[in-house]
Parts: sequence; C-alpha cells; structure tokens
Amino acid sequence: MRNKRLLTVIGLLLIGSMLLAACGGGATPAPAAPAATEAPAATEPPAATEAPAAEPTATEEAMAEPTATEEAMAEPTEEVAAEPEATLTAEEQAAVASAAAAEAMAAAEASGKTAIRWFVGLGTGTDPQQIEAQQAVVDAFNASQDQIQLVLEVVPYDAGRDTLATQIASGAGPDIIGPVGWGGSNAFYGQWLDLTQYIEDTGFDTSVFDPALVDSYQTEEGQVGLPFAVFPAATYYIPAMFDEVGLEYPPQNYGDKYMLDGEEVDWNWDTFTEVAKRMTIDVNGFNSTEDGFDPTQIVQVGYSPQWQTHPNYVSSYVAGSADIVDGDAKGSYSVNMPDSWKEAVQWAYDGMYGDQPWMATGPMSGAPEFGNGNLFNTGHAAMAVTPLWYTCCLGDLRDSGTEFQAGILPMGADGVVHGRVDADTFRVWKGTKHPAEAFTVLSYLITDGGDTLLPNYGALPAIPDKQEAFFAKKSEDYPFITPETWEVFKAGLSYPDAPSAEQWQPNWNEAWAREQTFWDLIQNTAPDALDFDAEWQKMIDDLNVIYNK
Amino acid sequence: MFQELNRGTPALPTPRAYRELTPLKRREMREGLLFISPWLIGFLVFTLLPILASLAFSFMNMKITDGILSPPKFVGLDNYIQMAKDPQIWSIGGGTRGSLWITVLFGAISLPVGLMLPLFIALLMNSRHLKGKMAFRSAFYMPYIIPFVAAVFLWGGMLNPESGWINRALVAVGVPRDMTPNWANDVNWVYPTYVIMGIWAIGNAMLIFLAGLQGVPTDLYDAAKVDGANGWHSFWKITFPMISPVIFYNLVLGVVFLFQYFTVPLVVNQGTGRPGGATMFFNLYLYKTFFTFQNMSYGAAMAWLLFFLILVVTIILFRTARHWVYYAGDGKS
Repeated sequence: MRNKRLLTVIGLLLIGSMLLAACGGGATPAPAAPAATEAPAATEPPAATEAPAAEPTATEEAMAEPTATEEAMAEPTEEVAAEPEATLTAEEQAAVASAAAAEAMAAAEASGKTAIRWFVGLGTGTDPQQIEAQQAVVDAFNASQDQIQLVLEVVPYDAGRDTLATQIASGAGPDIIGPVGWGGSNAFYGQWLDLTQYIEDTGFDTSVFDPALVDSYQTEEGQVGLPFAVFPAATYYIPAMFDEVGLEYPPQNYGDKYMLDGEEVDWNWDTFTEVAKRMTIDVNGFNSTEDGFDPTQIVQVGYSPQWQTHPNYVSSYVAGSADIVDGDAKGSYSVNMPDSWKEAVQWAYDGMYGDQPWMATGPMSGAPEFGNGNLFNTGHAAMAVTPLWYTCCLGDLRDSGTEFQAGILPMGADGVVHGRVDADTFRVWKGTKHPAEAFTVLSYLITDGGDTLLPNYGALPAIPDKQEAFFAKKSEDYPFITPETWEVFKAGLSYPDAPSAEQWQPNWNEAWAREQTFWDLIQNTAPDALDFDAEWQKMIDDLNVIYNK
Repeated sequence: MFQELNRGTPALPTPRAYRELTPLKRREMREGLLFISPWLIGFLVFTLLPILASLAFSFMNMKITDGILSPPKFVGLDNYIQMAKDPQIWSIGGGTRGSLWITVLFGAISLPVGLMLPLFIALLMNSRHLKGKMAFRSAFYMPYIIPFVAAVFLWGGMLNPESGWINRALVAVGVPRDMTPNWANDVNWVYPTYVIMGIWAIGNAMLIFLAGLQGVPTDLYDAAKVDGANGWHSFWKITFPMISPVIFYNLVLGVVFLFQYFTVPLVVNQGTGRPGGATMFFNLYLYKTFFTFQNMSYGAAMAWLLFFLILVVTIILFRTARHWVYYAGDGKS
C-alpha cells in the first residue's frame, strides 16, 4: 500500500515536471549584445539567382570592408560569454533580441518615460559595427532629453520579416522600423503611419530634401516616410578591360555621346549591348561577335546585373518604370506590365542564351570562380549596372589591384534615361501608441542621428549638404575612384525610378517571388527548352491570381 | 490488417459501465488516465487545437501583416474557391509548373526508386550467398542514422557543379566539362539530384523489406524448386505476394512522405523554388504561403487540401490493396 502511494506521488511529480517542461520555455536567455564572434555574413554572398534585397543588406555591406566581425575573428576575442550566440539560428537570435528589448522597454516605462522601440532587421543595420553605431545614436538621443527612452532592437536580417510580422500580428509591433527599403516597406504595406500631421505639428523642415524624394514617399495612405538614404544607380566599369580591347569608356556626363568605331553614337542600350558583346571573351580570346567564339567557355562577360536580377529591375532600367498594377481592390486587381518590359527581359535573355551572348547565365554566374553571383567583384565582368550600395561589395576587386569607375546609365529606346534610385528610410508603425514621440525619434534619426548612422550604413545622405562627407569617406575606401565617378552617382539622383521597380503590388511578397521565379527560369533554361512568350504569359496569369488572393 | 491491430485495444467504458466497475478497477483506470494525461494534454493543446484553429482560419481572410489593424473576417469558401483555380497549384505544362504537379512529377521518379532500390538491396542482403551480411546491412543502414539535413548538405557538396567530386570524376573519365550536369541548379537535373539524395535514406525501408523477406517460409521456395521454378518465378510467385504487405506499407509511407516533401528543396535550393520554380513542391509552397507570403488563411486552406489529398490517395491505395496485397492465412486484405 505504502509502495503504491509512493509510486503515485512519484508519478504525479513526473507528470508535473513533464507538463512544466512542455509548457515552459526554459530559462529566459540573458539579453546579450550581438556577439563579436557572430558568423560573418560576408562569407555568404547571395547566390546569383537569389531574390535580391534591393536595400543594401548587412550581407552585402559586410562583403566589401573588413567588419568588426572579421577583425574580431582575426584577433581572438576574450568575450567568451558572447560565443554561444554564434551557434544560435537567426530566429533564436531574434528571440533573444526581442526579449532584451522587451525588458528594456519595461524598465524605461517604469522610470516614467515614454518608451519607443526601434526595430532593425529589414535591411542594413545588423552588422556588429552598425549595431554599435546605432546604439551610440540611441544613447545620444536618450541623453538629449528626458521624456522619451529609445530602445534598440536588432534582429538578424534572415529573421527580420518574420519577426516583425509576428510582432505586428500580436499587436506588439515596434514604434519605429528601419532602415527599410521599398521592398521591405511594401511587404508591410498598410502598416505605416501617415506622418503629415506630425510634420505639420512639429514644423519639421522638409525643404532640406529634394522635393521629388519627399514625394516618392507619398502613397494613397499619405506621407508614410521621409528621405534618409539614397542609392542612385550608374554603370560600373573596369577601365583596364576597355583599354585591352581598345574601346572607349562609358561617358561620365548625362547627354554625352559614345565613340564607337570612330563614330559618335548615343550611349543607349543598343550601344551598351554592342560594347558588352565585344567585352565578352572566351577562353581562346575571341569575343562574342567573332567567329570561333565558344559560348561554353566564357571567361569574361561584358555585363553583370549585380543583384538587379529581377524582371522589374531589368525592365525599369531598360524600358523605364511603369505603374504595373491596375485596379483598386481585391477582386479587381490585374497586371499592367507594358510590352516594353517584356521586350527588356527578352533582351536580357538573349544576352544570356543568344548567338552572341554578353551576360552570364544562371549556372555561370553562380559558379565559385565567378564569385557566386558577385561577378563584377571577381574581375570577370567589364560592366555592371546597379545602385551605389554596390560599392559595399567590391573589396576583392580593389584588393586584387583592379580599379573601377562609373559611367552614366544608357538611355532607353525612347531616348530617355531610365535610372533607379534605391532608398532606405525609417517608418513609424501605424499601431504605435506614441505616434508623436515616435515621430520625434524619426526626425532625430534622419537628421542628427544620420551623421553617425549613414557612414556606417554606407549610404548616401538624402540631404544634399551632407553628401560630400559620404563621398570623402568612400574615397578613402577606394582611393582610385575619380571625382567624375562620384559626380556620375550624384547626377543619377535625377533619374529615379518612379514608381520604384519595387513598387507596391497586391500580396507583394508572393508577387515579387513569382516574378523572381520567372527570371530564375530564364536564367537557367536555354531557348530549346523554354517558350519565352508562354512563360511570360504564365507569369502574368499567375500574378493576376496572386494579386487577388 | 489494421482491424487486427485494433482487436483487444481497451476502450473507455460508458458512464454506466464505469459505475459498475469494482473500486480497484476504477482506481486503476483513474491512474491510467492520470499517467496518460501529459500526452493527452499535449495532444489537445499542441495538436488538436492548432488543427481546429487552422480549419477556422481557412474560412477567414487572415494575413499576418494585417495584424491587429484589420481583424480577420469570415469569408466563407473564398480561399478554397481561389485555391481551386490557382495555377501555382494546379498548372501542368510549361517550365513553371504548379506545385502539385511538381510533387506528382517528382513522385513518379522518386517513388519507384524509393521502393525498388531498397527492395533490391534487401534481396541481396537476404541472399544466402552473401558473405559478411552484418557488415553490409550495417553499412546500408548507417546513413539513415545521420541527420537528414546534414546528409543533404553533404550531397550538396558532392554534387556541386564546380567543386563537387562527382563532376570532377566525370571530367576525369572524359566527360566534357560543359556536359557535366548542373545538378540542383538545372531544371532538367534537379529531380534526379533529389532522388539521388533520397537514396541516402533508404536504409530504413531496406530493413523493413529485409524483415519481410526473412518472414517468408523457406519451404515455399523448396517446393517451387521441386516444381522447376526459376529465380524470377520464385520471386514473382512467392516472394512478392508474401512481402506485399511490407511493400504496401512502404508505398503508403512513401506517398505520405512525397506529399510532405520539404526539407531537401528548402535546404538545397533555399526554398526559393529554384531553378525556375521547379522545386516549389506543394508542401514548400504551403510553408511559403504561411511564413513568407504571410497569408495565413490561404495557407490554412492549402494545408487542408493537402490533408484531403493524402487521405484520398491513401484510401485509393487501400482500395487497390485488396487486389494485390496478400495476407497469409487471411486471404487478400
């Protein structure tokens, strides 16, 4: 009998412990600063066909310059406590960061201040050195006044969208989110606060920005952002390769002509294509236009899109931006991609699989000797058309002793230059309980705080007065870059893609992914196995369904 | 077969029958329920409740990004109607196929391989002429105990078009470099690549087949030999019918596994559907709908479609089983 009672007690204890184990999440992990030994994203360049985060991600940034992480790896750190975090998944690191932020928020509120949470993880800002800079900005802000306590929450980029989505779904969204680009913002369309009232109430001076940039944040939901960082596009090129084949460099002033075979021609996409073909060289030294050229043994391509590998990017550059969504409500949405967009993508496809290729196919650009997608950085591409943030990722090229410069963007068939300007900014979540205080913080981040943040993000300030400092810093990284090249980028600000190539589409995440799939298909499939027209139509049909899901 | 298994399983008594139990029996029952309660509670809270919740979500318009700002609304069968005409699920032809068709297409390659290869190896392992049976059995089973994701990474390295030793070996034996497969990055090679990776995990199926083969009475073979049967006849007329329940078991598991195929495309091609959407298997598309596209209601509807597809296919398999699965001493199933 006694034994039975004992067994019952033991059994109950076991059941209790099992229930506790099942329900409890274990000990709350101690909030910790991101580990110095965190695995560097720099070693994982995006694959060639990867849907690019148009906004510069920590990954891209980390690729160029030695980061604190790399330095930490070079010099063994004594911070043993930080080590275990390196083994956490992105989601686990996000959970740790969120728990730490929640604790800091509670402490701030207990002190009688209004706690404002700043969420980082949708774009750049997750590198250790950037986190340090962001924390410095937070500290400076908190020291500057006694009403608001700003709390920083940094989650890894890989877990950023999921974490934010979960927080928003549970009603526990952050007050400020950013830096975030067009794509990241569109993934959370409808969640951003209209700042108009707060701009008026505080008298915030928006005249410091280019009005066109301010307008680009105007949506049907109001003024949902203010300019902060901008990334105009240009044609990157390697002068030595042009010298080798005796071709002129791309022009560096918008409106200038190009000299091809002794004739002055427009620097348009036809000229660009011809130059790219002549710069595409096989293992025997033949270029793409010559007899005997072997397309299976290309050692250098004329052009690399450098993560602008999405139909919407290519089309925006070549054919010009367009409003691609028709309709105003679920059930009425439809795709409105102009034919010129299809032609632009067909042009790129011919560049990969045509008789005279000038661009890397998917397998080729994904190969290690071609930089796993970062082809221009390996010195195997003569030109790249991509935004300014790509200066993040050219460390290998620089260290190999190869210089690069930038020229103007080619003009489209309509005689107009269709550029791209990527942009990062901060947004306020519509569900914030403290919109006025959040706007106070946002104002600080895009002005005074920007002085510290922008150099660490490697971003060009949207405020023109602050741009010289950015280029001075970049010139330290790339001493061979001429002032003319920086002027090309500045001039590129006059050619934004409006609406953005990453413009809002209903069910943005899925629509963007479907378009990416199309690009991926053509990049990896030769014409004998692909009906381009049918696949394009299929994409359109799919998008029409996705838009109305 | 399953009725057999259920025979003798005690059921909960009715309230009246419970009252008629002796105090000892009642206490035993209470203690039994107490001991099983952690599992029951876990099942109710972490399995049954989410299942029911997902059913409810599938009739709403819940998107996680809408958050609390626009509460979900009841939309009836909208998600199911939308799903019924979603080309990303059903589309058959062309380069970018629907996820369901991708799953079926892959199954047409992987299922036969996944059944026949382990059966073939089990037959070899069962051969009386084989020396060192234990070593071979261990060798074939060993990969199964390696975590699947680790194995996938391993295969990913071996099949890397540039640095993998398989392509290097092909080049070494004279295959032109540009003719070597691009494996998981090639629309035409990606399914064979996945099948090859799947072979790594056939140890378990092989072991089950082996157990089945060892259960076949040897006197049947002796009798067949006396009657002049050759090896093929013995296999087809004796071995196959005798192990047909095991084949059926592996087939059902294989079909269920196929519909839930997820890990390999997620790890090898990062869940992007690369190359060209060829690896957007149904379960992966479902996952992405939930967690990347954040369309919870549509994802829930897809989950229920998956459930019904598996249910229907399994029922069909059970119906066909009565024609080809043989249970000794029980006639056909």
